[in-house]
Amino acid sequence: MKLTGKVWKFAQDDINTGLIRKQMYNHLPPQEQGKHCMEALDPEFSSKAKPGDFIVAGTNFGCGSSTPAHYSIVALGIPAVVAESFGSLFFSNCVGGALWPIVCPGILGLVETGDTLEIDTDTFVVRNVGTGKTLQGVALPEIYRGMIDAGGEKPYLKARLAAERA
Amino acid sequence: MAGMHALHKILANCARPKRHSVTPGEFLEIEPDIFGVIVGVNGVEAKRMTADLEELGITEIPLRDRIIAVADHASPAPTVAIAGSQKLWRDFFKAHGIRTFDGGAGVSHLVLCEEGIVRPGMLAIAIDSHAPTMGAIGMYSTSLGGGRLTLYAIGRYVIQVPKVTLVRISGKLKPGLSGRDASLYVNGKLGQRGAYNNAVEFAGTFIDALSMDMRFTFANMGTEMGAVTSYIQPDKTTLDWVNQRGSADYTVYETDRDFQYDSVHELDVSRIEPQIAVPHAPDDVKAVSEVAGRKVDQAYIGSCASGRLEDLAAAAHVLKGRKVHPDVRLIVTPGSREILKAATVLGYIQTLHEANAIVTSSNCGACPGLHGGILAPGDVAITSITRNFEGRMGPGGEIYLASPATVAASAIEGRIASPLQYLSAERT
Repeated sequence: MKLTGKVWKFAQDDINTGLIRKQMYNHLPPQEQGKHCMEALDPEFSSKAKPGDFIVAGTNFGCGSSTPAHYSIVALGIPAVVAESFGSLFFSNCVGGALWPIVCPGILGLVETGDTLEIDTDTFVVRNVGTGKTLQGVALPEIYRGMIDAGGEKPYLKARLAAERA
Repeated sequence: MAGMHALHKILANCARPKRHSVTPGEFLEIEPDIFGVIVGVNGVEAKRMTADLEELGITEIPLRDRIIAVADHASPAPTVAIAGSQKLWRDFFKAHGIRTFDGGAGVSHLVLCEEGIVRPGMLAIAIDSHAPTMGAIGMYSTSLGGGRLTLYAIGRYVIQVPKVTLVRISGKLKPGLSGRDASLYVNGKLGQRGAYNNAVEFAGTFIDALSMDMRFTFANMGTEMGAVTSYIQPDKTTLDWVNQRGSADYTVYETDRDFQYDSVHELDVSRIEPQIAVPHAPDDVKAVSEVAGRKVDQAYIGSCASGRLEDLAAAAHVLKGRKVHPDVRLIVTPGSREILKAATVLGYIQTLHEANAIVTSSNCGACPGLHGGILAPGDVAITSITRNFEGRMGPGGEIYLASPATVAASAIEGRIASPLQYLSAERT
């Protein structure tokens, strides 16, 4: 499957979960966390980002707490985050929430905010649509790909349990 | 076949189906021995978990006897909203027969170890980024990211087998320094990505001589190097501690002699001065002398990094016969009820009260910025907590990380200060 969307680039490294969505909003219903997404780094972000857009980030994106900060990104309708690398807890949180975490070394040099990016979730090739330049992202393991393809953790479990009970 | 690390042997044992060997980088489906959860602050999630399990047709949670809930974050409840959320989680745990340690028991990683619920050779998944703390007893303990519903519904979790970073530490600390100073030093040297997505093992003559309290501190701070789990090979110190906890049902795994570590770091702590991490990164570590004199508004001793008996002893030692500076709030949150009781018997709590410290019940306290000492914008805090990310203890607050003795000395002076002058020989 190919996803195409506009890029919002947060170039710095080590953007922790508290910067993605402050811990003080942890108690809010997941849908309401969208308006606080990335506000520590860009207070206007939630009003500017549109469903289908992507976040592009540096190294160790989502480091720190295991808090489900990905809720705030999912709530905005953002389907993928492409980063140089991810914190492992945030990474698996994304998978459960059917948010594609794409590890793509070199991504910061490929796109700028406002560029259009295309992500192939079968080959993990990412392409700057404007320049035509591509990079090879790191393939997700089968089990994670299956979970995101199924629409997240619950639909995946439903299918798995149905198969086991059959 | 290449040699295996003790952690890899634990993973192989918990893999489903069981494995004889595992290879770093591969993804395994595992069944944990213990699944640690918290009495959460988000009630919507509790409702959704109930609904999701119903929708999946799960009436009995397969792991229910191995799930332990602890009320440690924001407990007792500081707000109406959080009180309501915690009630929903308590109801959920009760409905499913899940054992719950309620408010005041302490921080989950401490409680699970002290109660002998987790033991050497076990594998625990816990909802808290500092779950690696429990690796101090020689187990695989890692934090839950995604996958909570899967754990509740089918008792499984996916783990990527980590490579292992070895940190070998030698030397004897100068008088007046504590394990936390050494730990801060190591974090400063390795950096926030020093063991990125790896397991980290702490070893060497310094670790061999270290108390369990300070081994927990080291394992805890593995998280701040990006490690997915921390490990200290069990020895006599470990097993003496574990054996006091009631159960002899554990396994000590050994790392094969020909195991290849991903990287090996050799550090010597014999010449270090009291250490401090400055805002806003736990690896931005300096000597206390470099920032001494900075005015502080709040001082905080507690957390799963440094809220143990030895930490309270160090604070009481510095504060005995002295008073907290009138412009400073010194808050002390013992890590668990066991620690609070022991510190009471030993007179440390009385000493803290006499010094005008605020002593709270046992929980995560002010560390995650949810209650018990939230910072105002512009506040400067010196603390013994886990991490000093921007805004963690309250938006706009600045956090320094140091040993409990340094925090106590700074609380007395109202500015960042070395504890060494308060720890002179005649007071010991």
